[in-house]
Amino acid sequence: MTTAIDTDLPRLLPRDGRRAQGWREHAARYDRIPYRNAAGRLIADVEASGLTGRGGAAFPTHRKLAAVLQASVRKRVRPAVVANGAESEPASDKDATLLWLAPHLVLDGLQLAAEAVGAESAVLYTHADRAGDVGGRLREALADRRDDRVPVSLAFAPPRFLAGQETALVSHLGEGPAIPTYPVPRITERGLGGAPTLVQNAETLAHLALIARYGPRWFREVGIPNDPGSHLVTVRRADGHPRVLEVPSGVGIASLVGETASIGALLLGGYHGTWVPAAKAVRLRLDNESLRSVGATVGAGILAVLPGDRCGLVESARIVRYLALESAGQCGPCLNGLPRMSAALTALARGRAPRGTRADLERWAGLVTGRGACHHPDGTARFVKSALRTFAAELERHERGQCGASNATPFLPLPQGTARTEEDWL
Amino acid sequence: MWYISRATGVVALLLMTAVLLLGLLVSRQGRLPGLPKFAVTGLHRNLALIAVAFVGLHVVTAVADGYVNIPLISVIVPLSSSYERLWLALGAVSLDLSLAIIVTSLVRNRLSRKAWKAVHWLAYLSWPVAWLHSYGSASDLKGGWLFLLAIADLLVVVAAVGWRLAAAARDVPRAERVGLLMNAVHQRGRNR
Repeated sequence: MTTAIDTDLPRLLPRDGRRAQGWREHAARYDRIPYRNAAGRLIADVEASGLTGRGGAAFPTHRKLAAVLQASVRKRVRPAVVANGAESEPASDKDATLLWLAPHLVLDGLQLAAEAVGAESAVLYTHADRAGDVGGRLREALADRRDDRVPVSLAFAPPRFLAGQETALVSHLGEGPAIPTYPVPRITERGLGGAPTLVQNAETLAHLALIARYGPRWFREVGIPNDPGSHLVTVRRADGHPRVLEVPSGVGIASLVGETASIGALLLGGYHGTWVPAAKAVRLRLDNESLRSVGATVGAGILAVLPGDRCGLVESARIVRYLALESAGQCGPCLNGLPRMSAALTALARGRAPRGTRADLERWAGLVTGRGACHHPDGTARFVKSALRTFAAELERHERGQCGASNATPFLPLPQGTARTEEDWL
Repeated sequence: MWYISRATGVVALLLMTAVLLLGLLVSRQGRLPGLPKFAVTGLHRNLALIAVAFVGLHVVTAVADGYVNIPLISVIVPLSSSYERLWLALGAVSLDLSLAIIVTSLVRNRLSRKAWKAVHWLAYLSWPVAWLHSYGSASDLKGGWLFLLAIADLLVVVAAVGWRLAAAARDVPRAERVGLLMNAVHQRGRNR
């Protein structure tokens, strides 16, 4: 191997700032794809590396690979493999950025994952219009590639919050609406077209491509032992612009959010995540162990500050309204619960809530949790409960008809448009 | 034995009616007073089992009885009996349809939901055929209180199917449900 092994960050993103890596730059930096020439061989390296899924759930990658390989051998069915770049979380930008700047690294990882489970084709699933025109960029990238063994096709997700959820993804790739289905049997057993299906986040695959090249020990040189390697994170500071950074796990949160004096609170893990008071958040590190103390997780690596001049309740009510409208409308607790939670939080934010609204909200949040086919109600409930906790002082102010904010401009990003017909889910 | 056959035939028809009504309720995830949803499904299944027993008794006794000659094959093959050729044919058709429903339900775990449901739809065909069989072949049902029972039975099923169709027509498409509810609850908040 002629390439010098590097441990410095960034590993995934280009070294020279924001210039996208075409096929030639990619090949010059990383050399060819280190195929293992047989299914299963890569899995031990992935296990030793300790790589976990970067889509939010942090599930050990090697276990998913092994499960799909075993299921396909047992059933004698070729597995399906999907790279999931459908980053539906509006506050996140890391997968779109990665696919834009280093598409070939993700595609290398997809090749290797497909080989590891014995698949004969693979799909790259993404929102077409993120980062400008990521769809066009990927089409070009696929045309440029020379030594792919597994043919890859592109599939585009509808602009729905739940489109990247893995059972919704399987439903959409099977020509159905991108709505989550009952999670049993697991898609690793019975997914796309009934075949065992591997769905891996785009960033996870990029890490996998590097583990295959440089080995698990190299991967573990960065980050903490329980959660090794680097993470792509999307940081939204008070200026509102998203920054996608590659950081080691366990990095101090204070070093990411910049000037902390003017921050009211920090949203960790996106719109299914957790609000944490700024003073508490800046003492934490970005890993699940450290974040457990405040009931948060790293999720898909989203850190958004709430500028001191904004109202956390008003912002939260906007987000919950969006989340309620993005419910697929199929599970009772979600369909009935989320709109009511949204209305209650809006009433609280406007200072027009009748007595007992807060208790209602807490109760509804408890009632919807764990009762959907997917985790949409759970994530929304977590967000609502953390908002009530973190903005307790603001709540009291609103009960007296006041608001601590001096700036009413909406801050957290929300997409335009909601689903009105079945077409919007296709 | 002829009397047993006639009596079990009447009871079987009433049981099939009850099973059909419960099936309509189950398909709307409806409830009976005092029963949770899963119990309605359970009742639907158990009554179906009892109905099968009565139909079985009804058929076996009719064939075994010497009063009229019905060949065993006529139980499942329509138009194979010289006695009451048409009406017994309807009975055989209804039984065949029911058998298809029963067999697919027993192996439901191995079928796709679509296939199972398609076969289960045959219930809507099986019931009226069974009713016609009962009404046509049994002189008992043509007069007296049994006639009233048969007509009442028919009216109840027609009403229930009408309710089912009306309920389906009121259904909001999945993609529009959330928007409607959002408008409703946010509106209520503003008016307060």
